[in-house]
Amino acid sequence: MDKVTRRSFVTTVGAATVAPASALLPLTAAAAPAKTPTTAEPPKTTYLFFNAAEVLFIEAACERLIPADESGPGAMGAGVPNYLDKQLGGAWGAGERLYRSGPWQPGTPSQGYQLPFTPAELFHASLRAINRELDAHGTPFHDMSPEAQDAYLKSLESGAHDLDGVPSGVFFDMLLKMSIEGFFSDPVYGGNRNMVAWRMIGFPGAYADYYEAIDRHGVKFEREPMSLAEDGHRNIHVRQDIPANL
Amino acid sequence: MNAPAPPFARFAFSFLLTAALPCALAASATPAPAAAPGATPAAKPAAAAAPPCEACHGAHGEGMAAAHVPRIAGQSADYLKKQLNDYAAGTRDNPIMANFAKALSEQQRAKFAARYAAMSAPYIPQAKPPIAVHLARGHQLAFQGDEAKRVQACNACHGPDGVGVPHAAPYLAGQSAEFLASALKAFKDGTRKNDAGELMRSVAERLDDADIAAVTGYFASVDLSTH
Amino acid sequence: MAQRLKEVDVVVIGVGMVGSIVAKELAAAGYKVVGLERGQTRFTVPEFQSPAVHDELRFDIRKALMQDNTREPVTFRNQGSQVALPVRRWESFLPGTGLGGSMVHWNGQTYRFQATDFQLATRTRERYGKNFLDPDVTIQDWGVTYDDLEPHYDRFEYLLGTSGKAGNIKGRIQAGGDPHESPRSRDYPTPPQKEHFQGAMFRKAAGSLGYHPFPQPSSNLSQPYTNPEGVKLNACVFCGFCERYACEHYAKSVPQTVILPVLLANPNFELRTGCQVQRIDLDSTKKHATGVTYIDAVGRVFEQPASLVITSTFAINNIRMLLLSGIGKPYDPATGHGVVGRNYAYQTMSTVASFFDEDVIVNPFMASGASGTLINDFAGDNFDHSGLGFIGGAYIGAVNTNGRPIQYHPVPPGTPAWGKGWKQAVVKHYNHTVMFSCHGSSVSQRQNYCDLDPTYRDAWGQPVLRITFDFPPNDIKMAAYVTAKAVEIGKAMGAKQVVGSPRKGPYTVTQYQTTHNTGGTVMGDDPKTSVVNRYLQSWDVPNVFVIGASNYPQNATWNPTGTLGALTYWAVDALKNKYLKNPGRLVSA
Repeated sequence: MDKVTRRSFVTTVGAATVAPASALLPLTAAAAPAKTPTTAEPPKTTYLFFNAAEVLFIEAACERLIPADESGPGAMGAGVPNYLDKQLGGAWGAGERLYRSGPWQPGTPSQGYQLPFTPAELFHASLRAINRELDAHGTPFHDMSPEAQDAYLKSLESGAHDLDGVPSGVFFDMLLKMSIEGFFSDPVYGGNRNMVAWRMIGFPGAYADYYEAIDRHGVKFEREPMSLAEDGHRNIHVRQDIPANL
Repeated sequence: MNAPAPPFARFAFSFLLTAALPCALAASATPAPAAAPGATPAAKPAAAAAPPCEACHGAHGEGMAAAHVPRIAGQSADYLKKQLNDYAAGTRDNPIMANFAKALSEQQRAKFAARYAAMSAPYIPQAKPPIAVHLARGHQLAFQGDEAKRVQACNACHGPDGVGVPHAAPYLAGQSAEFLASALKAFKDGTRKNDAGELMRSVAERLDDADIAAVTGYFASVDLSTH
Repeated sequence: MAQRLKEVDVVVIGVGMVGSIVAKELAAAGYKVVGLERGQTRFTVPEFQSPAVHDELRFDIRKALMQDNTREPVTFRNQGSQVALPVRRWESFLPGTGLGGSMVHWNGQTYRFQATDFQLATRTRERYGKNFLDPDVTIQDWGVTYDDLEPHYDRFEYLLGTSGKAGNIKGRIQAGGDPHESPRSRDYPTPPQKEHFQGAMFRKAAGSLGYHPFPQPSSNLSQPYTNPEGVKLNACVFCGFCERYACEHYAKSVPQTVILPVLLANPNFELRTGCQVQRIDLDSTKKHATGVTYIDAVGRVFEQPASLVITSTFAINNIRMLLLSGIGKPYDPATGHGVVGRNYAYQTMSTVASFFDEDVIVNPFMASGASGTLINDFAGDNFDHSGLGFIGGAYIGAVNTNGRPIQYHPVPPGTPAWGKGWKQAVVKHYNHTVMFSCHGSSVSQRQNYCDLDPTYRDAWGQPVLRITFDFPPNDIKMAAYVTAKAVEIGKAMGAKQVVGSPRKGPYTVTQYQTTHNTGGTVMGDDPKTSVVNRYLQSWDVPNVFVIGASNYPQNATWNPTGTLGALTYWAVDALKNKYLKNPGRLVSA
């Protein structure tokens, strides 16, 4: 894969270019605070990794993990399933930064992850087992009430299920961890759409010169969050090929 | 101060004497600052005390490139306010701006800063567009920096495409090349030292004249007014 | 078939901070030095530039700057009775790689140890009696004193330009600094960084309890600085992307910003990257190194002959290098004999979270890696341990370095791990929480050690390092004690809720707790309990010097890097003025 250069970040238009609602801005966009993006329907995700049945589970499950509420959009509004789809379908899903040699033993909790699965394999195996189990025994996950969904997720979390060899707690931990990543990571990765998660907590993002602001103890820092992938018109150039190395 | 007055100063004086003062008229629409309890009421009416910003900075805050007067339309309010305060305090050296800034209260300076921050002015192309090699070098300094000169990317602080980052750094995109060059040179030779942490001096002192021409010509060529 | 290259004077294995300093000094002294670095070159421009470098997912979560664990992992177990398994993803500690090494991604926290630390065994016996320690604890004296190292600490701090306020200059206590520190000859090269709101709150609260808060010494500089090598750094802007990231501003002291411009310009020095050293080669006597064998990025095998070999590959890799090379007797915990791998230690980390109402705006994202405020009142042996049942201590401080949200979103205990309750708690507490760190010492004990793994191999077919480690009971007791003290400070800050999380066992590799791995190639006066002598020269192979925190007999309260810089200059001094003038054993065994 081409080495990602600093220059190529901003000059390359990625697969999905997201323009905020207020596209026509004055010359200096950052001076006048941009309008808060509307909470309209999020753009449709083109799934490349998850199949249709997996999508149904993932969208519903992620939205239970990080629901929309008064503080703002949840996983769906932020594009967390899109993040998962693109990461699992790329180098990270294929085992980037994972030591993959055997032999394999379960190990103690102190020893961490010891399964042979790459993240992509783990998700496919787990989702296959989950969907099969739910299809056989009752309602598919996306048709359950939110309470029933939460109960099911808790049972996965507790390790009550063996998902074709994957302890369900391991799957749940990876799903939750990656959902939080998809929520809070820079929007360059396809999640945290319009930086809704950063707005929610007041994290200013990738442009971070606080030399003068740090003196203003206890004063709220009022600035639009900024993505490492936005250009001077506040368009965010999403990309899927950022490597987990320099 | 030993530094010679910047070139626009002489130019501006003639404007002061002959031009109408639309800025002053606009200023009269703002209420006169309330006198603090016990203070002597202001002796001069508000209109006469208001500075003639448009005379130099243009009707829409677009600046006057040839006279090194910066575009200030849409500039960060924080930054404009700091410059006015620095002019008043003498930490930024400019006799003309100092006069204007001192004549304003801190509250009035904040008002002017906010007014110009809210303005927008059309992009004005440079009279003499930079040559290709300067554009390329300027783009490199803007996006990457230069290791041999130990200069980081301008955009790291000044924002994507030099659009500016509130509370941190002013916009450079569409700013006049002449003004930017005079600013960099002033940081470099120490005549301007109101940059917090000497952040600008640290950069400017490592740029030579060719770099300054390149990076200023580049930023002046960045037109963010249309998508 | 190895290709034998032309002999050089010195091979330096690993061109991080230690390797860069040694290579620069020896090249400047006229020696031909080859630096072998397994990683690649990288420089502030373009590799460290922002905004691209301010990518939490890439650098924080995915460890983009770290040693390639897919090819060169370690294995780990808590107890010798367990099977060690690969650390399949880095979490607990994050070894670096590439030109500049781990220091490229450090936080800039630059401390000295105290005089007591260098004679910890003796001082502990003197103050508390010889039966005070658990019998399994194997702390030792270093073989050097603080006074030996003071000029070298000074030199390292002035190389970096460290920003701080001295607390003790030649015995005179200085207001505003740390009154507990051992005497320094002069103040720091630059003044302290600005204090953030959390630090100011901590200062007030700690002061109100009679403690002595002072600014964290920071190698993210408070102002522009030109170091004695003529290299200039800029002021740090508190971007909050310090540890695990590289600095785009030339404001963090790393080899690229303090010494590499000088080293790389010296024709006596040759840098070779992509070179994985397999072992230090020994002659038939096994008491003399002939050079090193390495494999380049294309897979070609080379022998690089040299008169002197320095291994500066980072603490745990140094241990492995000696084991793979057959230098020194490997430690066997069953018998207690042997030295290589013995006395491995770490850092004992606890935290305290203080939750405030929403009118208290903390702005955690505005910070440098070392712009905190802390106290040493409960560090080291600065307090009377009589009756407490442990030695050691922690510095306690508001030393939080960032607000990067994937990892930093503190919530009180009882908050669900997900769902609406979690989300609401995150919003409620993100900008209204102050985190303290209790950064604690780590004694060595006979059960904690490193050796070569019997099963797992790296991509070059060599056994990986096996780490056997759990927290000694001493340190668990210490952590409970200091955390309780830290909770009191949180309460004195007026927080609505203060939650202490003292370190508990077992040690897990799944949670970050510093990259302060120490020990394994311990320095000392006695070859039966050390691998190198006081000049960091191998007892077994006199033309091999081992420089790293692997030399520490145990780990003290503070971050190891400052002391390692001092040891490096100390060793360089011995190399230039003693060893290279007359090669041979510098200390009789």
